Amino acid sequence: MTEIIRVEKLDVGYDGEVVLKQLDFSVAKGDITVILGKSGCGKTTILKTLIGLLPPLGGEVAFFGEKIDYHSEKTLGELYKRIGVLYQGGALLNSLTLYENVALPIKMQHPGLPPQIEREMVYSRLAQVGLAESAAKYPAELSGGMRKRTALARAMILDPDIIFCDEPSAGLDPITAAGLDVLMRNLRDLFGITFVVVTHELRSIEKISDRALVLHNGRIHFFGAYKDLFNLNDPFIDTFFMKGENHDY
Amino acid sequence: MQENKKIIALPEKFSIEEVATAMNEIKGLGKDHPIEIDLKNTRFIDSSGIAFINYLKGNYPNAVFENVKPEIEKIFSVFPSHASLEKRRKEKRSGFTERIKLTHVAHSMEHGLENLDVKLSHFRGNFKNFFVLLADEIYYTCQYFFQRRGIYPGEIWHQLFFMAYKSYPIVSMISFLVGVTVALTAAEQLRNFGADIYLADLVGFGMVRELVPLMTGIILAGKIGASITAEIASMNVLEETDALKTMGVVPEKFLMVPRLLAMTLAIPLLVAIADTVGILGGVLVAKFFSEIPAATFFDEMFKVVGLGDFLIGQMKTLVFGWIVVVSSGYKGFSVERSPAGVGIATTECVVLSISLIIVSDCIFALILY
Repeated sequence: MTEIIRVEKLDVGYDGEVVLKQLDFSVAKGDITVILGKSGCGKTTILKTLIGLLPPLGGEVAFFGEKIDYHSEKTLGELYKRIGVLYQGGALLNSLTLYENVALPIKMQHPGLPPQIEREMVYSRLAQVGLAESAAKYPAELSGGMRKRTALARAMILDPDIIFCDEPSAGLDPITAAGLDVLMRNLRDLFGITFVVVTHELRSIEKISDRALVLHNGRIHFFGAYKDLFNLNDPFIDTFFMKGENHDY
Repeated sequence: MQENKKIIALPEKFSIEEVATAMNEIKGLGKDHPIEIDLKNTRFIDSSGIAFINYLKGNYPNAVFENVKPEIEKIFSVFPSHASLEKRRKEKRSGFTERIKLTHVAHSMEHGLENLDVKLSHFRGNFKNFFVLLADEIYYTCQYFFQRRGIYPGEIWHQLFFMAYKSYPIVSMISFLVGVTVALTAAEQLRNFGADIYLADLVGFGMVRELVPLMTGIILAGKIGASITAEIASMNVLEETDALKTMGVVPEKFLMVPRLLAMTLAIPLLVAIADTVGILGGVLVAKFFSEIPAATFFDEMFKVVGLGDFLIGQMKTLVFGWIVVVSSGYKGFSVERSPAGVGIATTECVVLSISLIIVSDCIFALILY
């Protein structure tokens, strides 16, 4: 299976201070890889490094076999053409309507695209997330779930190879969160989009995961097929999934 | 030594009121003084009571606890002491690096020299970052004229509407009032010397070359600068600038170039209006206070004030406008990512803009006079 991302001996952190060290893992095409761990364990930090926002402190990240040079605008520009990101709060621009938000990557990357094609692309993506009727609304007029679905539509508007999602279910009610999970699963099944999802929502993890990357104590605690997680008989994993005694981690 | 031992028998209910009494009892005792805490009668203890016990455990090595009931012991197990947490944190730190909060170091009186060094290093960093952003903006603005990418279509006009149309009432009002004030102040003095007619020169020259640029710059710092900083800082806090980056958009270009260009277009209009209205204030004072007709006022004023003065005023205000945009962008992009950070950045932006405007006005004065 094609590897989209390969991470080798990666150290990540802020201001020279290492948060996660010696990380080795890969993301395969068409998989939904879930990054799990306690709050503050560095899930979002590693996501920021994977999407090019935070240069690593050591090691390397390769995207389709090409090492990412975090100091080269050109390399990062190439990376950004092939990824989509769903941020925790949606990160929609409040001064733009939903239509304009979803169309933004097109306008920026392909300014010469005929407006009719742009309109088709935007409406079809909005329809896929169930928001075609709300295209003229502003983010402030939407619920949290609708904002996240719009952000997902924006993330996939240019058919990225991979979409990174930071806590997609955070702050959503269980029904809306479940709807978002089903949407991601469908997008993976129908369009072959690869997802890397940072979350600690157990329901969400169970529904969408193909592979799991568990972070604990600044290192990878487990990386592999999600179903293998439960054969480990590991106290931390059992506690995390509320299947064992609550140890003091 | 045994007779020196301080024995404190805790009451049946040991809660926040009793803790104060117990603290008074150990007041003045040395850290090595032997203390015995007798919990024989204690059946109920609240979190402040546990905090007292934990404090003794952490700070008085010779404190002993007698007759602790199992149910009380159980409560202790779920309230880790500050000392134990600190020990655990240090143990963790030795195997695993933890982020050091520089702000804490900066505020510590124990780190005087280090504090100064950190502040100097911050200042150098801020100074460098400001000029890096300035250089970036010049580059992106020039780039925009050759490659119309990376900016949202129509954004320049949207910003121009906000900067020019929405600002001209306040700029006009302030300029008018400044014109009136300057004229009133000067008229009285000039009358004493029988030089009333020179009021026209003073108001015209003063407004066009000095007061209109300065007041417009300060108003723009308060109105436009604060708004730009608040907007960009909020976008930073809400990860919108990160989202722009991962869409392949350069936020410094996407957000700043339209504002810089809009400011460049807005300034000539605002200055022309402010000059006119400010001088009009002077004309009114001349007419009603010094009894100088408007035609005489203008005749005298145009002997001194020429097109060059008007253009110098325009140029100065343009520089002040750019200072406002770059300062506000700088403060917006360097915001600490928290809601409080937005407020701090906004305040700092106004202070920085006004300071830089006054400094550059002084430099202009040295060059031009």
